[in-house]
Amino acid sequence: MIKAILVFNNHGKPRLSKFYQYFPEDLQQQIIRETFHLVSKRDDNVCNFLEGGTLIGGSDYKIIYRHYATLFFVFCVDSSESELGILDLIQVFVETLDKCFENVCELDLIFHVDKVHNILSELVMGGMVLETNMSEILTRIEEQSKLEKSEAGIIAAPARAVSAVKDMNLPQKIKDMKLPDLPNILKS
Amino acid sequence: MGGSTFCASKVSRDLTKKATMPAVKGDNMRGLLVFISDIRNCKSKEAEIKRINKELANIRSKFKGDKTLDGYHKKKYVCKLLFIFLLGHDIDFGYMEAVNLLSSNRYTEKQIGYLFISVMISANNDLIKLVIKSIKNDLASPNPVHVNLALQCTANIGSKEMAEGLGNEIPKLLVTGMEKSLRETIDSVKQSAALTLLRLLRTSPEYIQIGEWSSRVIHLLNDQHLGVVTSAASLIEALVKKNPEEYKGCVSLAVSRLSRANLQDYTYYFVPAPWLSVKLLRLLQNYPPPEDPAVRTRLTECLETILNKAQEPPKSKKIQHGNAKNAVLNEAINLIIHMDSDPNLLVRACNQLGQFLQHRETNLRYLALESMCLLATSEFSHEAVKKHQETVVNSLKTERDVSVRQRAVDLLYAMCDKTNAEEIVGEMLEYLETADYSIREEMVLKVAILAEKYAVDYTWYVDVILNLIRISGDYVSEEVWYRVIQIVINRDDVQGYAAKTVFEALQAPACHENMVKVGGYILGEFGNLIAGDPRSSPLVQFQLLHSKYHLCGPATRGLILSTYIKFVNLFPEIKSTIQDVLKSDNNLRNSDVELQQRSVEYLQLSTVASTDVLATVLEEMPPFPERESSILAKLKKKKPTVTEQAENKEPKQPMPQAQMSNNVNTHNTPPPLSVPAASNPPSAAASDDLLGLNSPGPSQAAPSAGSFLLDVFDTVGSSPPTNGVDSNGLTPGAEESFKKFICKNNGVLFENDLLQIGVKSEYRQNLGRLGIFYGNKTSFQFSGFSIDTHCSQITCTPKPVGTTIESGAQVQQVINIECITEFSDAPLLIISFMCNGNSHRLNLKLPVMFSKFSEPAEMDSATFFARWKGLSQPNQECQKVFKAKFPIDTEQNKTKMLGFGISILEGIDPNPDNYVSAGVIHIKGSQVGCLVRLEPNKNAQMYRLTIRASKPPVPNILADLLEHQF
Repeated sequence: MIKAILVFNNHGKPRLSKFYQYFPEDLQQQIIRETFHLVSKRDDNVCNFLEGGTLIGGSDYKIIYRHYATLFFVFCVDSSESELGILDLIQVFVETLDKCFENVCELDLIFHVDKVHNILSELVMGGMVLETNMSEILTRIEEQSKLEKSEAGIIAAPARAVSAVKDMNLPQKIKDMKLPDLPNILKS
Repeated sequence: MGGSTFCASKVSRDLTKKATMPAVKGDNMRGLLVFISDIRNCKSKEAEIKRINKELANIRSKFKGDKTLDGYHKKKYVCKLLFIFLLGHDIDFGYMEAVNLLSSNRYTEKQIGYLFISVMISANNDLIKLVIKSIKNDLASPNPVHVNLALQCTANIGSKEMAEGLGNEIPKLLVTGMEKSLRETIDSVKQSAALTLLRLLRTSPEYIQIGEWSSRVIHLLNDQHLGVVTSAASLIEALVKKNPEEYKGCVSLAVSRLSRANLQDYTYYFVPAPWLSVKLLRLLQNYPPPEDPAVRTRLTECLETILNKAQEPPKSKKIQHGNAKNAVLNEAINLIIHMDSDPNLLVRACNQLGQFLQHRETNLRYLALESMCLLATSEFSHEAVKKHQETVVNSLKTERDVSVRQRAVDLLYAMCDKTNAEEIVGEMLEYLETADYSIREEMVLKVAILAEKYAVDYTWYVDVILNLIRISGDYVSEEVWYRVIQIVINRDDVQGYAAKTVFEALQAPACHENMVKVGGYILGEFGNLIAGDPRSSPLVQFQLLHSKYHLCGPATRGLILSTYIKFVNLFPEIKSTIQDVLKSDNNLRNSDVELQQRSVEYLQLSTVASTDVLATVLEEMPPFPERESSILAKLKKKKPTVTEQAENKEPKQPMPQAQMSNNVNTHNTPPPLSVPAASNPPSAAASDDLLGLNSPGPSQAAPSAGSFLLDVFDTVGSSPPTNGVDSNGLTPGAEESFKKFICKNNGVLFENDLLQIGVKSEYRQNLGRLGIFYGNKTSFQFSGFSIDTHCSQITCTPKPVGTTIESGAQVQQVINIECITEFSDAPLLIISFMCNGNSHRLNLKLPVMFSKFSEPAEMDSATFFARWKGLSQPNQECQKVFKAKFPIDTEQNKTKMLGFGISILEGIDPNPDNYVSAGVIHIKGSQVGCLVRLEPNKNAQMYRLTIRASKPPVPNILADLLEHQF
């Protein structure tokens, strides 16, 4: 099972943390720091798996991670998960984020904590892989945002207008997460 | 989070841009955006904390205020709290508001409530009951979206309370659909329900009853919806692990689903349903190869197809394509290795892994090394794996990534056997010079184990270990150098060589302290073997060792001082030189009490004691009893699960054990080194114990002197309490509870925080039956539960028990016993299991003693005295005088003697206070009669116990058992 999903940036600032096993808050922060130290000093084209840090359970657990531009996506799993399968799951997660946020960047994760958590909960539930088919996930997210919009009613109208304006502004956008053609992935 | 860290990042420009126009993505949460931007602009940690506290005060007042907040505001504040929490600050309020959101009918509010609860709440929060109530309501909701939110929250928290409160609801969702009109959404509910059930099953299986639904759960594998099948496969795998028999039906369904996994399924980068395939292949790894030939053929076809696909040119250049394809391939190979039955597939798998070993993808090389470790343990493929030795050695040397190199070390360790041991050990030693610090200690252990396991020539072994110490002395743990000394002492063919080699090694200008320790110890024992050579004459040896003395720590110095006194014995000609050293202020007045004491006492010993006494006191160490290598124990401790798995799969290659038996002397050497050390600080380093300093003094030199090392080893390191053992290798308390059973048959044999063990027993003649009850006291499942019994003079036939014990459950085991001959050592009961990720081992004594096979015998006074006189040879009697441990109470004593299995004969002894008893002990094919007399002395609170029996050791065995009972 997946014990924890962590996203942090190149400086170790946490951007998403989701523990599927209870750890006290301060230990959660320590685990994030420890994991960051473990993965951040690794080169980009070394292997994506390594043994877990001592806080999260040591060598019985594996850290499986990917590094996209400014962010590390780290899954800490036990031996019942397939390493490559989880690696692909990270990719699905990021691709889904990318579709939902239209070119996702670190800021989206900061400003839309709730939405990121919702997307994640469509993929992983209680530490287990729930759905891996991206179109399926997107349909569900779509349904949810429809629900949200119908409930938000008139309040949502300005937001829709704003996003229309935003789309006109395309060239100005700086995209630090280009998916699926990721620079570090193309290299290998 | 200072602003500076952000500015360094590439995104910072982007961030600033976006932050200046928060409306772009802010939708309707402007307040949140402003807050986050504020935090970002904080210049210092203090400023950040200040801003956060301000915000927390604001939110708190909003929540407390009398104006009811609308959903939007609640959502905004909850998002802020989540953000604050992510930054690592405690949130101690807002929980009630979040719980209230759960009962809202609006999706957005409910959703944010569940989000907050799932991220923040801990399993034992007071509010959990309210949360469970809301979840229950939502599970019953006709709206599948609400049901799913509730299921997600249940799975994410997955606490015991949830299992208790919801365990009955969820299986219903899994197998019964709702109305037909909601066909589409039912799938998503089923999918989530399967995983929620799985999660609860893992935390508290006792609350989940699936029994009646098991066949319907299995048939979820036939579901149309891919997601449902994937989740169901995960659930079924967990169920199978508990009860393989009941879920056997899933094998054929899984195989047929696997063979249908083709392009009609959802494809991910041109690979059809990779996750499902992986799950199914994993599921199948829980069973032996299918028995039904049709299913078996189909599975073989599937595996061959997967292997064939690996050879096809890739359908896409995208890395995801290769990744997904290899995920399936790798799992297929693991299944082939698991089935371990089809040599053709095994060889293909091995070849495929061989290709991966040289693949440009690091991940694949890593996985190939890992899977090959398993292949190396299969007898079909062990040889095939060995062909790749060169490649593996190469990856050890050239891989850039330490986690891959670590796998290479593991594989080399697994593939090593007699034929390639020297080569592999050589490569590993060579690599050790430049190895990463993080893996050095483990490598050192592995090299030491391999060298010991496969040593044909023990001079090679000594060379390897000394090289280890030379190359990475810092990582050589005490176990390693203790072990080399054990082996050298036990094998006299290598002692001379060892002495010569350490002597040479010590000549290096800088040598590691561990080398000095080994050198000091070996020269002290066997320095005489090389003293004939003028280049290593006694004086040269002494001067060499003394040149290192001042560079060493106190523990080593203590060891060297002991070597000096041994030298005094071995080489009387340098006695005065050594005495001078001992006399020097540096030693005699050393501020370290231990060193000072040793100097004083050794000096005294060398002056006072005659040559004979000296020779006796400082005699050569007796051989160590054969035992499992302590290094191996250490390695196991480092990697509990990994090595155990490897061991289970490796019955043909028992883990190394020093081959000491051929040299073990049978004569009992007197205590070897009873150094007069009156006081010994409890903190004395382990190496001090090596010198026998734990013995109280020369007068009471412990008869178990040979086991000093054992004691040291058994307590070295910080082993968890349940794994600790006392000097007899028993779990603490085992001896005491064993004694409780001498006069009774039922009771609690062992209890700690995890486990309670109760025993009921009955005996008839030379047969006995024991019921042992194992109760799991924790809230975790025990897995890998196994029981082993060791006994020699009786036959002990334990009935098998399952390998798991659920939380709170009790398992019964029956052991049948037959007494073959008299015995004094009780059978050992060795219990091992895994609980919550920790492995535990208990070494207990099975409460079976020789007296259990005794039946009371009645006889009159004349017969008694006739028999008593008939048993008059010295070895037919044992007499003990001991102090009363309990108040002298006639009735209690009678109960005890009857419990012991002997009669109470009244009116035989002239003194009515005395007890006289008789019994017949049944052993296979014969009987031993025994007579007992117990004389209490109330004034002195003493007893005298006399036992006579026809067969020599029996009186002593019985007296030993009985003397602690009164």
